[in-house]
Amino acid sequence: MRPRQSLIEMFSTFLQFDAERWASDPKLRRSMQHCLEQLQRSEKEENFWALYWHKLWQAQPAPQAGQAGTALARSHLTAYLQESCYWTAKKTSDTLASNHYALSDCFQMAISAVDTVLKGFNPTQGYSLKNYASAIFSSALRNELRQRQEVDVCTTWALLRRISQKRLVESLQQAGRSNEEITSYVLAWKCFKTLYAPVQATATRQLPPPDSATKEAIVNLYNKERGNEISPSAPKCSADILEKWLLTCAKAARSYLYPAQVSLNAPTSGDDSDEFLSDLPDSLTESLLTEIIEREEEQNRLALAIQMRAALTAALNSLDSQGQTLLQLYYGQGLTQQQIARQLEMKQYTVSRRLTKSRETLLLALAQWSQNSLHISLASNLLKDISLILEGWLNYHYRPPELSSEME
Amino acid sequence: MSDGTLIFEPTQVWLELAREELTRAWQQSQSFVWPNCRWNAYLNQLTLSAVLPWVQEEYAPAAKPWPSRAALLSFWQAVTGTAIELDNARLVFVPTDTIDLSELRVPQEWVDIPSWAGDYYIAAQVNPDEGGVLLWGYTTHEHLKTAGIYDSRDRTYCLPSDELILDLNVLWVARQLCPQETTRAALAPLPILPQKQAENLLVRLGNPDIAEPRLAVPFELWGALLEHGGTRQQLYERRLGLPEQWSVKKWLSAGVSELAENMGWGLLELQANIVGARGEESPAERSVCRQLIIAGQPYELRVFPLDDSDQPVWRFQLRNTSSGGLIPGGFKLRLLTEDLQAFENNEDVAEQAREELFIEVSLAPGEGLVWETEPFPDKYDREILRF
Repeated sequence: MRPRQSLIEMFSTFLQFDAERWASDPKLRRSMQHCLEQLQRSEKEENFWALYWHKLWQAQPAPQAGQAGTALARSHLTAYLQESCYWTAKKTSDTLASNHYALSDCFQMAISAVDTVLKGFNPTQGYSLKNYASAIFSSALRNELRQRQEVDVCTTWALLRRISQKRLVESLQQAGRSNEEITSYVLAWKCFKTLYAPVQATATRQLPPPDSATKEAIVNLYNKERGNEISPSAPKCSADILEKWLLTCAKAARSYLYPAQVSLNAPTSGDDSDEFLSDLPDSLTESLLTEIIEREEEQNRLALAIQMRAALTAALNSLDSQGQTLLQLYYGQGLTQQQIARQLEMKQYTVSRRLTKSRETLLLALAQWSQNSLHISLASNLLKDISLILEGWLNYHYRPPELSSEME
Repeated sequence: MSDGTLIFEPTQVWLELAREELTRAWQQSQSFVWPNCRWNAYLNQLTLSAVLPWVQEEYAPAAKPWPSRAALLSFWQAVTGTAIELDNARLVFVPTDTIDLSELRVPQEWVDIPSWAGDYYIAAQVNPDEGGVLLWGYTTHEHLKTAGIYDSRDRTYCLPSDELILDLNVLWVARQLCPQETTRAALAPLPILPQKQAENLLVRLGNPDIAEPRLAVPFELWGALLEHGGTRQQLYERRLGLPEQWSVKKWLSAGVSELAENMGWGLLELQANIVGARGEESPAERSVCRQLIIAGQPYELRVFPLDDSDQPVWRFQLRNTSSGGLIPGGFKLRLLTEDLQAFENNEDVAEQAREELFIEVSLAPGEGLVWETEPFPDKYDREILRF
């Protein structure tokens, strides 16, 4: 893949896997051109624009009709993060044993975490959006692969037993079911879960359909509960209806948890009306600029970031060699824990535990460094952020060589 | 165990289970009537088998199930969730077998019953097919109470995954670096149920035909019924259709029930000559006793009738069983009615170090009593002894 050079390209083009090229989005291109003229910033400041769009996105993070600025900011940032996403996807897809998923599939799965990236990114932490995005893309992708692998091998009835209530409701919403229908379906599903459980210790993925006595019992339970749970006037259920409902749930769940590939990469701004910065109140633009410029001038923060990296590198070097090897294989080569286990002839759970333990040592070192150098009092929510910084740093430290120049 | 590609994050903890543990957990969970109850007990048992050795090896050698291993089935009959107690914190593991890691749903019991509430709530994804348990996120009681969404339909507190701390390392680092952090929100106490009301609830909810007893009565009543170890245990026994397990009279004549034996009760038969040597308060030839650990010292609680009549006076006595050991000043032995009320002469206090604490009490046939000591013994869970 050819890295993008110009600032306009970085914030307005999208990766095209079939054609192996960067496709430009005319609207985003015009928007970037417009901004560059209007704000008179130099072409080179990639980081400035990343922060700028993020700040704008943050101002109104929930996309709502009429808030063109938010959707626009999100599109610019999605374009900007294409490369981080690409390298993350490549690292993972290179190590996948089966060729079930192409690089482009992995890319699609990872890029769908873009909102998680934008929501979680905290510009005051001294790490770039790209680093942070790599960490999030990478764990989102692995999570998604793991989930799909399970969904893939589950029978209809196993899937119904093993979906969370949250996802079931989301699946039904996505399938266009009304709230009333969803209430009935979820109650039927709960009754099903009460009465139908695996009858052996393993093979929970290959559950057969419930027998007719169980179905009858589920129907009875539903009819008993509907008065309290829905309303006394809610219609009765029968065995046929119940089965139909449950199959609908399973179908919705499967297509939600394991969607056929849809292109999520295209920018969301479908119409081509020119609503860019001119639509934003000037005061907002002004204050955003001031804030970003102030931040850029904080040399102190930069110095701290350097110190922090030094502290982390020292902590990393003081790990035993096995710990270092594990981190290198995991973050550097993107191997799965199982692949590492095979390569080092260790048990997988040993790999898992040592890796976790090594990471814990680094987290402790980083937390102590923050406590001592920044004079902050630690709390769990702060440690949660520190953990994300660590994840960003590990991805940065073990970044693929293709990116080493760019991400310095 | 399988050749699937398991993908985990180093922020998560994957704990493996041996095949024998799966088999054992499966057998132990089969006594429950309802399929989901059996399955929950199975998932909880697997979680405990995986998690306890890990916590002990890596973080806290003295970690143990709360309140005790023997009490767990009576918890799992009522609700899912397994607590492990460290020196100064309680971890509540909430197992599920869901595929997606999108939310943590904690049953209200583990959040709002004051004596049950934990410091940390950990999401455990159990995968029997892969033979392991994945710990993938956690939160504190405080956060669950303030940020959690209460779902009144199934009485759970829910947090979506982006509200959880998805790095288990953070928990242990936080315990090292900010041990003073508030982890628990304040809770209102639950009522103590009058005996008549408790009995009515037990009759109603002890009926195994009720699918979800936890949702059948208002939470306050249900929570109060569970918080009292004695009524929780009775609920469990009734739903399983077991006969009375806690009759001391029956224990003395036919041996201690298996359930009570698991809780630590045993039968003691004394030689006549030793009885004589004891002096004025000569115990009967048979007594029931339970070994206790209080403040690190071994003790024995012994219960026996003082005569052979149909309505004897019963004696409860507590002694230190280490050689030459005494009961330190300040210790108390106390008896309460089933609904935890005090009565006249229900308590013996060691003003200074003493050889024993004892209480003698006359009881009507069928009457029940709850014992306690101060300080509480390890693994203490209230129990109702029947006379």
